[in-house]
Amino acid sequence: MPATRPLPELVCPAGSLPALKAAVDNGADTVYLGLKNDTNARNFAGLNFDDRTAREGIHYAHQHGRKVLLAINTYAQGGDISRWHRAIDEGAALGVDAIILADIGLMKYARDRYPDLRLHMSVQSSATNYEAIKLAQDMFDIRRAVLPRVLTLDQVKQVIDHTNVEIEVFGFGSLCVMVEGRCLLSSYATGESPNSHGVCSPAKFVRWEHGQQALGARLNGILIDEYQQGEPAGYPTLCKGRFEVEGDTYYALEEPTSLNVMSMLPQIIDIGVAAIKVEGRQRSPAYVAQVTRTLREALDAAGRDKQRFAVKPAWTQALSKLAEGQQQTLGAYNRPWK
Amino acid sequence: MHIPDLTLPAKLASILGKLPSTPPCWALVTTLNQLKKRDILPVDMSLLAGHSFEVHILDADMRLRFTADDARFSVDSTPSEPDLRLAANLADFARMMLREEDPDTLFFNRKLVIEGDTELGLIVKNLLDSVDWSATPLQRFMAV
Amino acid sequence: MKKLQLTLGPVLFYWSRDDILRFYSEAADWPLETIYLGEAVCSRRQQLRGQDWISLGRELAQSGRQVVLSSQALIESESDLRRLRKLVENGELQLEANDLGAARLAQQQGQPFVAGHHLNIYNADTLALIRSLGARRWIPPVEMDRDTLSAVLGQAAFNGVQIETELFAWGRLPLALSARCFTARHYNLSKDDCQFRCMEHPDGLRLNTREQQAFLTINGIQTMSDGCQSLLPHLADISAMGITALRISPQWQHTAQVVQGYQQAVAAIESRTTGEVDLSPYSDSLLVDGYWRGSAGISAIGETRHAHS
Repeated sequence: MPATRPLPELVCPAGSLPALKAAVDNGADTVYLGLKNDTNARNFAGLNFDDRTAREGIHYAHQHGRKVLLAINTYAQGGDISRWHRAIDEGAALGVDAIILADIGLMKYARDRYPDLRLHMSVQSSATNYEAIKLAQDMFDIRRAVLPRVLTLDQVKQVIDHTNVEIEVFGFGSLCVMVEGRCLLSSYATGESPNSHGVCSPAKFVRWEHGQQALGARLNGILIDEYQQGEPAGYPTLCKGRFEVEGDTYYALEEPTSLNVMSMLPQIIDIGVAAIKVEGRQRSPAYVAQVTRTLREALDAAGRDKQRFAVKPAWTQALSKLAEGQQQTLGAYNRPWK
Repeated sequence: MHIPDLTLPAKLASILGKLPSTPPCWALVTTLNQLKKRDILPVDMSLLAGHSFEVHILDADMRLRFTADDARFSVDSTPSEPDLRLAANLADFARMMLREEDPDTLFFNRKLVIEGDTELGLIVKNLLDSVDWSATPLQRFMAV
Repeated sequence: MKKLQLTLGPVLFYWSRDDILRFYSEAADWPLETIYLGEAVCSRRQQLRGQDWISLGRELAQSGRQVVLSSQALIESESDLRRLRKLVENGELQLEANDLGAARLAQQQGQPFVAGHHLNIYNADTLALIRSLGARRWIPPVEMDRDTLSAVLGQAAFNGVQIETELFAWGRLPLALSARCFTARHYNLSKDDCQFRCMEHPDGLRLNTREQQAFLTINGIQTMSDGCQSLLPHLADISAMGITALRISPQWQHTAQVVQGYQQAVAAIESRTTGEVDLSPYSDSLLVDGYWRGSAGISAIGETRHAHS
């Protein structure tokens, strides 16, 4: 085992300029963002960056010595894909430090047009093995791949050991239980999915029903869950609803839970992960500030002394307050979860 | 700055609830229009135009109702159901505005009630999140 | 215009070895252009191993059918990759690549392959790229609507890209894959000790909403629709679009009747007659075609209401 590994980059989300500043001010090494359209997988009304805010944000980050990544991580749809091409052109013109792409057709466009532009393979590319990553490396010289949240820590190590492409993993945030890029549950219920529209369980299809007994959450008319008085609620993301299977009503796919890898940071550093990503471009600046500050502290502590690293109760407390469903898990990194 | 976890005393609430809500609502609308005019509130009015809103401060039993058109916000005095209703205690609204608390967190904890058009709710939330308070004198109050 | 061909997709459920062999001995006589074989869902399903599938494929190929080996869609471990390499290197049968890694291995072997729907090809540029790797046929993402597909095919033709197109025409829709096994979860078992309970559910486990609306199907690590997609009402249009083949996804019962029904419907288009074919008795789920119509996938055949009301 190498004596010292460089600390993984802390990559934080920004859905707005204040969130970007909050990430930078609280210790993110890198911030990722998207444009205000369906070229990115958090295409929510009122969220994301236009030319002016992107410019200002990139300037702010660079001034502080941090990097900015632009996510263009939906799949370009149909005959006219100029919107996605323009987004890549815009990213190159803005001077972002890398573009995160899911669609290999777009990787080719970006590589052909901008030979010096750094490209990352998005989690939405569903690259769970090193052969898939090598394909994108050989063809488009991608420098980093973000792994879907389905691999155990051993499997992540296996990928790292077989490629010199940098590997980024998720460290905190709402947990996607499905392989990213391969989940169509949202479009089955609503017609819109992350791949096609950059949205999952889109808000315009959500209806809250405030009944006498319970709060009902519907997605395009389909009852995703009901919450009794005082019971914590969740956004009606399809995979986190309660359903009935053979007479049992339960979270048949996944509880509303957040991923939190804090307790595994020493191992994550050891196996050579290049970057740790925080989910949540749709969350507020308050969330970004608190998560960034906490993970920065934890990561620095693990970097100082891996052997004696222990998760501080204050960190857990800070993050559990922000976690969806207020529960946290190591997810697939820890085999029993599966 | 931390806001203590208080609800308004019942006595005060009952007095507040009996007061006409027009003056506070007028103050809110004027503030919104000012923030918009000074470009602090980076609002795309086309997303809000034609919709009616209600901010319901639960512990004061005070309902602030306003509408938006393509240019500005104005007090809504019609009795019809708002398109979007946000309800919470005063302290939680304050935490949300000062970025001490994430609206999603309040919602998950059932401390913030969102009724009506969910997408409109998301637009409003994203709008509040995108206000760059560091460009205003209010900056020193902010938690972040 | 070439006649629409029928294909049999890989069995997505976990059936016993005997049931599988019986199924394919019957399928050998059905009017199919291509038979896809193999375990595409879960690495723990080993009633037939790689070599068994290859042998079965060689036998079926002798009946004159094109046989294609479907790769596992979610490749996580080194042993997954080992099994994949074994399939690719069989030296005879082509591969349906359900992962970019599989596409790379087929390309390295210089083998033409079928690009499965998991490869997420949503536009003509990406299609051309996959074609350049050696794909001779592609299956669009199951969520792709008719107009988007038509635009992609139009653009591809304009760019001079020649490739066959196969549509997921019948069956429960494969919607999502996970690291977690939802069948094991249902029985409070860990995935590593799943006791192969999938075998008790040869068409998967039905998942209802709390209002008893049939919604999804649990199939191990895969989540499928409860609704059975049927593109039967759209065959004339599909044929006119220049589609090569229609995939029938195997189900526990009545797959033969479904294939037969599709064959009749295709023949009716050929002869320009109006033969009414009703396949609803052969599915215990609602027939849906929302995706094809640009609506929610769950939208039933004949349901014209826009999904967002």
